[in-house]
Amino acid sequence: MPVLASVLGVFDITLDKLGDGELWLAQFFRGLSDGATYASVALALVMIYKSTGFINFAQGSLALLGVYLAYVFSVEQGLPVAVAVVCAMAASAAVAMFVERVLIRPFPPNHALPLVIVTLGLLLIIDSAVGIVWGFRTRSLPSMFPSGAPIEWGIAQLTWRTIGNLGTVFAVVGLLYLLLARTKTGLAFRAVSSNLESARLVGIRVGPTLGFGWALAAAIGTLGGALVVPDLLLEPSIMLRVLIFSLAAAALGGLDSLVGAVVGGLAVGLARNLLVTFLDLSELALATAVAVILVVLLVRPTGLFGSARVERV
Amino acid sequence: MGVVAAGSHRHRRRQIIGWALFAVVVALIPFLIADTYSPTILGNRYTVGLGNLSQSVGLMVAILGLNIATGYSGQLSLGHSFFVGSGAYLTAVLVNEFHWSYLSTLGVVVPGLFVFGVLFGLPALRIQGLYLGLLTFAVAAVFPSIIRLDEVADRTGGSNGLLIDSDLEAPAWAPLDTVTGWLHAVPGVGSRVPDGLTGRQEEAVYKYFLLVIMALVCFWLVRNIVAGRVGRALVAIRDNPLGAAASGVDLAAYKTLSFGISAAVGGVAGTMLAMHSGFVGPDEFGFSMAILLIAGLIVGGSGTLHGAVAGGLAIQFVPHWSSQTQTLPGTDVALEGPYGTAILGGLLIAIIFALPGGAAHWFRRTKARLMPVAPQPPGS
Amino acid sequence: MNAVDESARRESTAVGTAYLEVRGLKAAYGDINVLHGIDFSVAEGQIAVILGANGAGKTTTLRALCAMVSTEGSIKLDGEELAGHSTADIVRRGVAHVPQGRGTFPELSVEENLLAGAFVRADNEVRADIERWYETFGVLGERRTQAAGSLSGGEQQMLAIARALMLRPSLLLLDEPSLGLAPMITRTLFEQLSAVNAAAGTTMLVVEQNAILALGAADVAYVLEAGAVALSGPASALADDDGVRRAYLGY
Repeated sequence: MPVLASVLGVFDITLDKLGDGELWLAQFFRGLSDGATYASVALALVMIYKSTGFINFAQGSLALLGVYLAYVFSVEQGLPVAVAVVCAMAASAAVAMFVERVLIRPFPPNHALPLVIVTLGLLLIIDSAVGIVWGFRTRSLPSMFPSGAPIEWGIAQLTWRTIGNLGTVFAVVGLLYLLLARTKTGLAFRAVSSNLESARLVGIRVGPTLGFGWALAAAIGTLGGALVVPDLLLEPSIMLRVLIFSLAAAALGGLDSLVGAVVGGLAVGLARNLLVTFLDLSELALATAVAVILVVLLVRPTGLFGSARVERV
Repeated sequence: MGVVAAGSHRHRRRQIIGWALFAVVVALIPFLIADTYSPTILGNRYTVGLGNLSQSVGLMVAILGLNIATGYSGQLSLGHSFFVGSGAYLTAVLVNEFHWSYLSTLGVVVPGLFVFGVLFGLPALRIQGLYLGLLTFAVAAVFPSIIRLDEVADRTGGSNGLLIDSDLEAPAWAPLDTVTGWLHAVPGVGSRVPDGLTGRQEEAVYKYFLLVIMALVCFWLVRNIVAGRVGRALVAIRDNPLGAAASGVDLAAYKTLSFGISAAVGGVAGTMLAMHSGFVGPDEFGFSMAILLIAGLIVGGSGTLHGAVAGGLAIQFVPHWSSQTQTLPGTDVALEGPYGTAILGGLLIAIIFALPGGAAHWFRRTKARLMPVAPQPPGS
Repeated sequence: MNAVDESARRESTAVGTAYLEVRGLKAAYGDINVLHGIDFSVAEGQIAVILGANGAGKTTTLRALCAMVSTEGSIKLDGEELAGHSTADIVRRGVAHVPQGRGTFPELSVEENLLAGAFVRADNEVRADIERWYETFGVLGERRTQAAGSLSGGEQQMLAIARALMLRPSLLLLDEPSLGLAPMITRTLFEQLSAVNAAAGTTMLVVEQNAILALGAADVAYVLEAGAVALSGPASALADDDGVRRAYLGY
């Protein structure tokens, strides 16, 4: 019974918050901002899943490495933040291409399990390497966008950062769409995703195409990390939580849908901020992500926008 | 040595000698390193205590549990740390609040986690392969925040963790001190054994034996399960689910059962780890442990019992050794800090590349080459 | 005008010389050897058919020509060695392969499938070729924006063949093009292939279960048995051979 009482107590506290429109709006904006960052990392996960049929558990770690590089370029080398982030995206893309060439390509691309284990090993290596090189002291990375808020309603602020985060994600999706739908490289990438054997038979070099996918995914993930970090502090375990939320976003949107990654990212960002505020359970933020994954996988394993696909494990 | 026929008198004798040697080594080790042992590896002094070994025994049992769901029945579980953590916290709370003894908490931990594992296995019936990996990965990451929830923090200690207020003192009837005295008197070996045990040493030796016995019981039970009907069904499900179903294996029942057993064994491992350290903290059982257990499983050898032993040793001693290595010979690289995890990650990838069966596979092959056993001819 | 180019090129090589020359071809999946050193050749502009029971190594032969399986031996195309090159390089030398069953990209539209077929081409006639195959395979033109996966089996097979022809191949490998197709459609398909062969002079190597149809369309035939060539000769001669008739033609 005490459990029941405490549950009711929680609702007691929060019910009066429900009528607070400004709080709703504030959390809504915050949710959009968070959601945009989850969407970016989810996009990276979807890129890899689409082309190779497995989940890259080291995606967050590659982004972590990228964000630390952005820190080095901007704070230590004094480059403007936006330039530093672009350089870091290029650098993490290069690392990802190398990783793909050396650790991923030797395996037959249709056996997911060993590849998943390799990405877990990679996660251990990159996360500890970041700890070794930069230590565990927290650092701060400035945002690419100006501070302040052009639009305010009481406590609810639509900040430049929120606008910037959203704009960045939509721009990334737009560019990605153009790249995939309108260019020859994009056609090769989609052909490889669709049918590996036929892709070889039309003369597409599968390995470099997948390497390109890895590079692109790492760059997008790094951009996502650069959007998240200014809200938090930079330390080696920061991308883990982001990875979990992004996995939930990717699962919700459908693991092979780019649009789904964005919708899923925004939905998870909103759900997390609204639910956690009004239920007053800040420790349960991660649990919302797990609940999303569980419900989606049980009710609709292809997610909102994903296509049915034969599981390759 | 020549080829020996399986089941022959000589083969049995060799097996018995092997097991006896194993028993002697396991029984002697605590007395030899009760006072810590400091070999020099790659030019660095490496100090290892009995406690490290005890913890490794707990990890072996954790990997053994994971082995049932993932190694034998092929369901990618990246969240085994959740079960281990639940077992550890259950033990800690029962000991602290109800003053149970450690061992009696197993009466709750084993059935409780079995049921929990079965419940966990129910969604896993619909969610397979990578998707299951995805879900369990997230579940592993969420354990620490559940422990920290305000609603339970006064029970679980929240972020601070929970000191368990019960010591595992060696009972009066355990002749550990006497045995130490005898061993000390043995010429040769004796010089490495202290002539008596301090209170703390005695406690460590007692804990070690307790944990080893618990581990042996777990391994024996799991061996019986996997060598029998259930084990064959699980392996059939892993290798060919459709074929298994067509041969009358009830996939749903066996898959949930495998999660139940896996979780129960994981819970026992949690109890063992709580017994070992007398402390439970939320981040110990987070997703890093989940990944380390997978690493141990793969490095040791998935789907084998030896693999769990090798894996438990690897995930305990690789990071522990590296944390004490101040310089690598010929370089000025210090392996302190997070290098251990990086090395494990590298080991994991190297094993996938070079030795897909893990250490157990290598061990079996080497043994087969050095001491060949011919299969029993049919009809004899 | 494409046909004119092709026939001009054809005349430059003496008729009857081997365009595809295979010597001692072995192939294995892991430890299992499937082909034990086979020899055969196809002259330029000919249609050759490979017959054989299930498991004789027909599909493996085609896969070996495209480096889709580990091989030993010599494969010469127009005098150039193909063995040792990657699939992507072999395709760049004008070898198109229509694999058994799904040879399309199901998530891509019909038109994108055809564009992908021309992936290695750098000329500016790709558009014109697409329209040409839309005319030849009328149904593809009607469904150009539809996802390939939503087409029927027969339509997908046509798309796979059109996709292969988009390469403007000098050698077309077809693995059981009639598999799963209705007899009417199969006949149309072979008529269209013969027309392509006549118009563009494309050399073709066909694996086919429907031996009557295949021998009717082919110039030469090879019979594979357990990974070795058991019989070879002009298609018409093989069609009259008693052994072949009993084993593959059923009369």
